[in-house]
Amino acid sequence: MKAAGCLIALGLLAGLAPAQDVKWNYDKLAAKASDTVEVSLSGGLLRLATKFLSDDDKDEAQVKKLVGGLKGIYVKSFEFKKPGDYSAADVDSFRTPLRAPDWERIVGVHSTEDGETVEVYIKNEGKNIGGLAIIATEPKQVTLVNIVGPIDLDSLSELGGHFGIPEVEVEKKK
Amino acid sequence: MNLEDELRSALRRHEPSPDFTARVLARVAAAPMRQAPRPWVRWVAALAAALLLAVGGLGYRQYQGERAKSQMLLAMRIAASKLNKAQKKVQMITHRSNS
Repeated sequence: MKAAGCLIALGLLAGLAPAQDVKWNYDKLAAKASDTVEVSLSGGLLRLATKFLSDDDKDEAQVKKLVGGLKGIYVKSFEFKKPGDYSAADVDSFRTPLRAPDWERIVGVHSTEDGETVEVYIKNEGKNIGGLAIIATEPKQVTLVNIVGPIDLDSLSELGGHFGIPEVEVEKKK
Repeated sequence: MNLEDELRSALRRHEPSPDFTARVLARVAAAPMRQAPRPWVRWVAALAAALLLAVGGLGYRQYQGERAKSQMLLAMRIAASKLNKAQKKVQMITHRSNS
């Protein structure tokens, strides 16, 4: 994420209206950020990407299984030059659309040591999860994730240990 | 002779020689005929153009697919890492409160 001016957005998507589930307005943060990473995949492009995932590669096969029923994947990550470049109010605005009864916050952790906050929201669709939203903040970074469609959190979590993500050892109840 | 007479003389009608038509026709007959391209040449050209378009289209599709795939992997990587971070912190808090 250190790559200066790294804006990963498919030019091909430029003309398409994204079917993002959560209406987030990124303008304020985008104006303050020094670097932005953007991934926006929906519709045909999402299906095309899935087709290109290999069944032979373990990691890719796992992702393929995970994203099979998804309608959209949207990720925005903003990096700032120094702590304090964005305000708490900037982040608050992202919480506003994630309200009950449609959305439920299942995890909200804040660390005073490193100033990190991670909030995980799920979209309730009956008994199933119809979507996922993550708001993660660090002193110099804000990351927003919106996955549209049924997502298996366990499988997503299982991606830990792959792609260079440190695996979290789950403590089993004795 | 004044100018008017000179012009009239210069511009007066000259009848062609009696064999003029015959000579023209003979020359036309002697000139090599330009042949229309054979039908198969057109077909080959059309086929080559279609093949080029298809190969170009496939190449672009491949490029588009690979790019979308890498974007998807990046997105899942970011989502998984944030989820893991939350999970890790929850575990740390649980561990502290248990001990």
